[in-house]
Amino acid sequence: MTNQTKSQFIAVASITSELSAVMVVAKEISLAAANAKAIAFRAGDKAKGFQPITDFINELAKETIELVTNINIYALVLYRLTVDEFQKTAAYNKFELAAKMAEGAVYAKSMQEPVDHARLSMQDCQRQFKRDVSQLLGQLEAVMHHARAARVIAANSRIEASQAGEYLQSLQAVAESVDKAAHTIHDNVQRCRIALSIYRNS
Amino acid sequence: MKMTKIYEGSHQWIMFGRDEGKPGNIVDTNQYVVRTANRCLLLDPGGAELFAPMMAAVLHHAPVDQITDLFASHQDPDVISSLGLWDQALTNAKLHAPAIWEGFLRHYSCESIEYVPIPDNGGTIKLESVELQIIPAHYLHSSGNFHVYDPQAKILMSGDVGAAIEGPDSPVFVDNFAAHVEKMRYWHQRWMPSNQAKRVWIERVRNLDIDILAPQHGRMFKGDDVKRFLDWFDALQVGIAV
Repeated sequence: MTNQTKSQFIAVASITSELSAVMVVAKEISLAAANAKAIAFRAGDKAKGFQPITDFINELAKETIELVTNINIYALVLYRLTVDEFQKTAAYNKFELAAKMAEGAVYAKSMQEPVDHARLSMQDCQRQFKRDVSQLLGQLEAVMHHARAARVIAANSRIEASQAGEYLQSLQAVAESVDKAAHTIHDNVQRCRIALSIYRNS
Repeated sequence: MKMTKIYEGSHQWIMFGRDEGKPGNIVDTNQYVVRTANRCLLLDPGGAELFAPMMAAVLHHAPVDQITDLFASHQDPDVISSLGLWDQALTNAKLHAPAIWEGFLRHYSCESIEYVPIPDNGGTIKLESVELQIIPAHYLHSSGNFHVYDPQAKILMSGDVGAAIEGPDSPVFVDNFAAHVEKMRYWHQRWMPSNQAKRVWIERVRNLDIDILAPQHGRMFKGDDVKRFLDWFDALQVGIAV
C-alpha cells in the first residue's frame, strides 16, 4: 500500500471519528436547549427575550444532527470508494507486471485489454473519489455554518441572560455550553476539511 | 515459473510451479492448467502474490479470453486468494468451487466471475469434448474439499493430498519414493484431520485408473509411485495434534 493510499484511508476514517464527536456535542446542545426552555419558563417575564432563543438552539441542534447523520452515510460511501480504488490500483499494477513478465509469450498481446480496462477503472475511481470529496467538503461547510450560527446565538443568549435576575447564572451556563459546543463542532469539522482538502477535485 | 507439460493428447495438462521470484516466506505451490482447443481451466490458480507470474506463464499457452474456468479445491489463500485479480482480468469465466465455501470465497471478490457451487457429492467440469470428474475429498484437509480426475489423461489433481514442502530447485516428479516419504509424513499427519475421511478417499481413488497423482505442493507421483503413495497414506495415522 502506498503512502498516499494510507493517507487516503486515514483521512476518510478520521471523518467518521471526528463526526461522531460532533454528534455527541450536537446532542448536548439539544439537551441544553431543553434545559434553557425549562429555566426560561420558570423565569417568566424576566427571561422573555430568552424564550425564542431556546427554540433557535433546539432547531440548530436538530439540523446539525441531521446533517452529520447524512455526512456519515456519505463518508461510508467514500470509504467503500477508497477500498475500491485501492483494489483497482493493485489490480492495475499486477496486470502491468504480468504483461511485462509475459513479454515474448505467444499470447502476450492478449493482456493489453485487461491492462487498459484496469487503468480506466482505476482512473474512474480516482475521479469519482475527487468528486465525492468536493461534495463532502460542501456538506462540511454547512455544518461549519451551523457552528458559526450557534456562536452568534450564544452571544445573544449571554445578553438576554444578563436581564434575567436570579436566573442569570443558570441561563449564562446555558449560553456557555452552547458556545463551547459550537467551538468543538467548528474545530472537529475544520480538521475533517483539512484532512480531505488535498483530495479535492481541482 | 517453471512449466512442465504432463499430458499431451486431445488436450493438454501443464504444471506450473517452482517460481523463483516468489517471496521466501510464502509456501510454494503447484498450479495446473487443462488446455483444450478454445478453452483453458486453471486448477488451484494460487495466491495473490503469484498472480502476475502465473498469468504471464499461462499466456505462453492461451490468450486471456480463452481462460474460461477456474477450479478451487478448497478455500485456502495459497489456493485461491488471487481470485479478486482473476475476477478483474477475466470477463467471461466460471469458478468451480465447493458450495459450502461460496460465502467465504466471495470475500476475495467475485463480481464478474460466475461462481459454480460444487455440491458435496462432486460433479463434472466439461471443457469442450473433455469431461473432468470432480472427486469429493472432504476433510483432506478442508471440510469442503474436491480433487479433479481426468479419465482420458489418467491424472488426478489431488490438492493437499500427496503434498510436500520443498525448495524451488526440487524435481517435479518423485524419483525415489522411499526418500520422499519423510518429506510428506508430518504434512499429512498434521494437516489431515480424519483417518475415516482418509480411508473413504483412498477407497474411492483406488477405483480410478491413475497415471499421475498431482498435488498442490511438492512433487507429482507417476506410475507405480501412485500405488506406493496410496499404500503409504493408508497406513499413516493422521490428526496427530489432538
